[in-house]
This record gives sequence, C-alpha cells and structure tokens, in this order.
Amino acid sequence: MSTVTLYSVSYDIASLILHILGFIIPPANAALTNGNVITGLAVLVFGVILLAASMLNTILLIWWERKLLGRIMDRRGAMHVGYAGLLQNFADGFKLFRKTTVQPREADALGFFSGPTAYMVTSFLLFGILPISSGWNSGILPLSLLLALAIFSFAPLFIFVSAWSSNNKYSLMGGMRSAAQMIAYEVPLLLAVVAVVIVAGSFDLTTIVYEQQNYWFWGPLFVALIVFVAGMLAEMERIPFDLPEAEAELVEGWNTEYGGMLFAFFMLADYLRALVGSILVVLLFLGGWTMPSWVPSAATSFPLAGIFWFMVKTYIVFGLFVWVRASLPRVRTDQLLRVGWNRMIPLSLLSVFLAALLVTVKCVWPFGCIPSAGT
Amino acid sequence: MSEMWINMGPQHPMTHGLWNLRVRLDGELIKDVDPEVGYLHRGIEKISEDRHYNEVITLMDRCCYVAGFAWEHLYTIAAERALHITPPERAEYLRVLSDEFQRIASHLMWYAAFVQDIGLMSPFLYGMRDRDLILDLYQSYTGARMTYEYFRVGGVRSDLPPGFTDQARKVLDWLTPRFNEYDQLCLGSDIFHKRCDNLGVLKANDCVTHGVTGPMIRSAGLKRDLRKDRPYSVYRQLDFDVALADSADVTGRYLVRMEEMRQSVRILRQVVDWLDHHPGPVIAEELPRWLGAPYAPVGKEGYLLKRHYPKGVGFSAVEEPHGEAQAYVVNEGGEHPYRVKFRSPVFANISAARQYMVGYRVADIPPIMGSVDVCVGEVDR
Repeated sequence: MSTVTLYSVSYDIASLILHILGFIIPPANAALTNGNVITGLAVLVFGVILLAASMLNTILLIWWERKLLGRIMDRRGAMHVGYAGLLQNFADGFKLFRKTTVQPREADALGFFSGPTAYMVTSFLLFGILPISSGWNSGILPLSLLLALAIFSFAPLFIFVSAWSSNNKYSLMGGMRSAAQMIAYEVPLLLAVVAVVIVAGSFDLTTIVYEQQNYWFWGPLFVALIVFVAGMLAEMERIPFDLPEAEAELVEGWNTEYGGMLFAFFMLADYLRALVGSILVVLLFLGGWTMPSWVPSAATSFPLAGIFWFMVKTYIVFGLFVWVRASLPRVRTDQLLRVGWNRMIPLSLLSVFLAALLVTVKCVWPFGCIPSAGT
Repeated sequence: MSEMWINMGPQHPMTHGLWNLRVRLDGELIKDVDPEVGYLHRGIEKISEDRHYNEVITLMDRCCYVAGFAWEHLYTIAAERALHITPPERAEYLRVLSDEFQRIASHLMWYAAFVQDIGLMSPFLYGMRDRDLILDLYQSYTGARMTYEYFRVGGVRSDLPPGFTDQARKVLDWLTPRFNEYDQLCLGSDIFHKRCDNLGVLKANDCVTHGVTGPMIRSAGLKRDLRKDRPYSVYRQLDFDVALADSADVTGRYLVRMEEMRQSVRILRQVVDWLDHHPGPVIAEELPRWLGAPYAPVGKEGYLLKRHYPKGVGFSAVEEPHGEAQAYVVNEGGEHPYRVKFRSPVFANISAARQYMVGYRVADIPPIMGSVDVCVGEVDR
C-alpha cells in the first residue's frame, strides 16, 4: 500500500506553510524551517483536519438520521436548505450559535459550563484515536481500543455534573438515570470487546482490523456483536435506551436547562458518540476499511478506497441504529437495568467463552481460519 | 434522593394540554399525585348564557379541539329537547357520520400522542397522517378542519357535497387495514407489553366510584356505552358492538380504543350507505326565525313572538370519544339559553389519578396519562 498517511499529509502542509512564511520573512527563515517547529505545526494541522473531518461527519450523520427517520415515518425529512436539506443542520447550528446562553439563577456556574464543554472535548478526543484507514490513524497505539473505551466512559461523569449543577429536578433525575444506565452497560460492553480482543490477540484497533482479513468477526462472534450493539445503544442514549432524556416524562432529561450553544455542544457530542459507536462496530466486527477478497479489486484499489468503504459501513451501521430508534418504544429504568445485569452480562460472558473456544479450535465452518491464531 | 414534589405541567410534554400534575416522588417511585386543572378555563358555560342557541355551537367546538363534533352533538340534543324541536332523520344520520368520523380522528390523535409517550416515534406520524384524511373529509363538507360549526339546533347547516360518500368510502377502505398495522407496531413489540401490561390498573368498581367512563370503564370489563345503553340520535338503527377488554390496564385501554375505531368504521359504512339512498331535508321546517331557519315564515314567528316560545329543559348524554359527556340546557323562553351545564368525562377520569397512579414509577406517568386520553379544553371549558 502507499505510504501516504494523514500525518505525512499534515507534515507536508505544515512544512509548505512554514517555508512560504520563511520566504516572505527571510530573517526568520532558519527558525521557521527548523524540524521541531515543522513537527509542532504538523501536529496542529493534524488536529485541525481531524476536527474538521469529525465535525463534518457528525453533521452529515445528523442529516442521514433525519432523512432516514423521515422516510421511515412516511415523510421526507429536511428538504429546504441546500440540496435535499444537506445544509439544514448548518442552518440549525448557526441558529443555536446566535442564541443567548441562559444560565438558571441558582445553577452552579462552574459545573454548568464545564460539563458540556468537557463532554464535547472528550467526545472529539475519541475521534483522534480511531483509525479510519491504513493511512488515517494517529500512529501505533498498542492499547487504542482500551483508550477509546476509557474515554467513552467519561461521559456519565460530565453528564451528571452538568445535570446536578443546573439545579433542576428533571435534570437531576436524568443525570441519575444516565449514570446508572451507563455503568450498568459498561460491563457487558467491555466483556463483548474482550471477546474480540481474545480472537484478535491485540488491543490495537489497526491490528484487530488486519486480523479480520480472512473473515469478519461479526459471524463467529455474533453474540458479542449483539451485546456490543445493545450496549452501544445504551451508551449513546438512543431509543430504546434513551431514558436519561426521555422527553415524555423528563422534558429533555439532563439537558433540560441547556439552550443555545451549550445545547449544541451536547447535541454535537451525542452524535459524535453515535458516530464513534458505529465506527467501533465497524472496526471490531465488520473488518474496518478492508473488504472481503471476493470484491473486485477495482472497487477497493481506487484512491481513498479504504476511507470510502469505511464510511459506507459506518453509515449503514448507524442506519441500523436509526431503524431501531424509529421502530421501538422506550424501556423503563428498572427494566433497562434488569436487562443489563441479568441478560447482557451472562450473554457477554457466553461470548467470551465462545471467543476462547474459537481461538482453541482455530477454524470454524463456514468462516474459515484465524490468520495468525492470536499471536 | 429524598422525597420531592415535582410539577409535571402546565408546560410539560406529558400533559398534552394545559394542566398540571403534581407528583410526589421517592426516587423514581410515585408516592402521591395531585392533578390541578383550570389553566384553560374560558368560562364557556357563562358565555353560553349570552349567546343565541346556535352561537353556542361555536363554543362547543372550542370545548374539545379533537372531538368538536361530539360536543356539538351533545349540546344540540340538549338544546333541541329544551326547545321542543325534532331534527329530520337525514340530519341525524349526518350527525352520526360526523360523530363517528370524529371518534376515529380523536382516537387516532390519542394513538399518536400515546405512542409518543412510550417513546415510539414513527406511529406518531402514521396516526397524524391518517387523521388528516378525516380532516380533509370534514373540510369538504363543513369548510373547517377543527372548529366546524356544522350542527344547528334542529338539524345541520348543509347537506353533503356531491361525491362525498365515495370519498368517505375510500377513506374507510384505507383506514381498515391501517388498524392492523398499528396493532403490529404496538402489540407486536415486546417492549410495549413490558411497558403497558398491568400498568395504571383501575378496576370496574373503582371506575364506578370515581365516575370514570368511556374506554377506561370498558377496559375494566364493564359494558357501558351510551350509544347502546341510552341510544340517542339514530344509533338504535345501527349495528355495532361495544368494545370491551378486561385487563383494566393501559393495554386494555389501547385494545378498547383500537376496537372502537374498527366499530366506528363499521357504523360509518352503514351510515354512508343510508345517506346515499335517503335524500331529504337536513334542517327542521318549523324552526323559529331567530334560530336561523332558512324557510321560516317571517310573519308567523318572528322576533316579537320569542317570549312566548314554550319553555323547557333539556338533558343529553353522549358517548364522546373520551367518555360520557352530559349537558343540561335550561330554556326560560328567549333567544339565549338561561343556563347551560356540561359534564366532562375527562374531568372525572383525571380526578381519579391517585387511584391508578400511586405505586408506579415516574416513567409510567406518560403512558398512564396517555391512556386516559386527556383533552383539557373540555375539562376546564
């Protein structure tokens, strides 16, 4: 494969910028074209590209959800701003941007403002860890999967802080539910991931993807997939597990008191987490950016083919989440927790057992064999 | 968390209207509830004393914005009894047509709101979509989609436009398979049963004690439907069954309402067929002029004679989509009713909230209140 990576591209951009600057300001030329300076700016450019890509994808994801939901509900979804409503979310974003930020009188300012900010920042942080293709990654992180899940599980803390500090009973109840639910679903989620890790033999997401070259893990690890997707639904707080923001009884749950840009922070972070959730499903179970060998090579060898197929898979997975959202009612808190502790954990333990079995027998009909047998 | 009171309303997604449910919570558990109404009081009963008999019908539409025809019908029956007027038969059939379409429209509205309360998103749109067809029908013969002002004391305002019955049949044909679709979306889902079975139980004797009527009492297994028990209009001539369930819970109310919609379709088919073959006048001939009779002889009964018009009182009870509505109209002679009094079924239904809510969880409040089908306009009037 080509050696063009996201980092090399950012390095080239940074170097180009600094050389032009040095040409314009000759006295600073030597200082600007220093290797360390270029590296520093390259990291910045890298971050900006990641931020822009994640932002763009998040907004596109909201559009995708709105259109898909609209079709399922026998309507069209956003239609007016831009072609087929593509720019509707930008319009909504600017509208939220223009609005005054209202802080409730008795709210605790520190928690009220830092909660959504930290929630969004940690969500954006996630995007930097995940490899999107062989070139699009942040280097070799041997424990990237663990790091991603660790950052993912920060969320209840920030939600609870912002819910508690907004001094509203609905927010508080939403925050409580959010904390209870996320902790309950963290355990089966991690156990399902353990099943994948056992088979792949690594915590590195890139390695996990390359371990799936013979067969994608969704087939042999189907139980783990089910547990993971259900856990992800709970983590993303989407129907049927969107109790923390159940609008029927809790108005808007933990973000009742938030409006304007702070609400936009929550909204963006929510969809960013949804995106990351779908990406994790693709990485862990659907072969990441690789395609099976029976796909004609013309479909996988064009420039950026990896990113293209990755995005296609991600949007399909997210489409499934939307489908679930459109067709299921919401469960109740006690039922959710009971399902979490009584059903999901045994299932995830079963999936770990199946994974261990798979590693032992190495080959499973009709999927094939493990390539390197978990080195 | 210690126990706390929270106000669900007057602006709250659960309320579907302007009222307040005060809830005492222990964590997620409901310890006590206290419904508070009166936010939408417009003094309709008092205003009615100052309006002509036909002008009161305008107010009736505002009583319940999802079941305007039921309230128009309720009032016109009482007013006709007070004024000793008999409407022609075709007008009665037109009223039943409006009533039963209204029942379906109201129940579809309830369905849309109820599924939203348990978190189902898509059926909300389906219910609203299908309700729109009925509103289109209303628009074609009354000119309005919500506040119709179609009934008159002594008949109805106008006859149907040509081709209406075919259009109505098309709508009925469209609706019939939709009900099964709705059932699949709700009853076919495990989560729905988890959420709604054995929820908000109100047994038959409690219903009677608290004056709870309508789908709630029928879901408790008590066969009480004014269209059968105390037939008004032409319901005696029509063939239909009373929808019943015996679980007395939210699922039971769902089943009753679904079955009622099916029965309404059955009634409507008979009514539409009858209307096709029985042309005739739609408003009584012998009306006094001040009731707006189109052909009333001016010299015989005009304004001068109004004080000598016979006095009387009229009582009516109508099976409204939400329950049993009652009206009492006192005619002391004159253009205005002396006193008008209404009994709203929803008022009794939500007054009993403590009976069917305490002990459940806060997440159960929306489905329970949704299954009661609250229409605040008629509660406060």
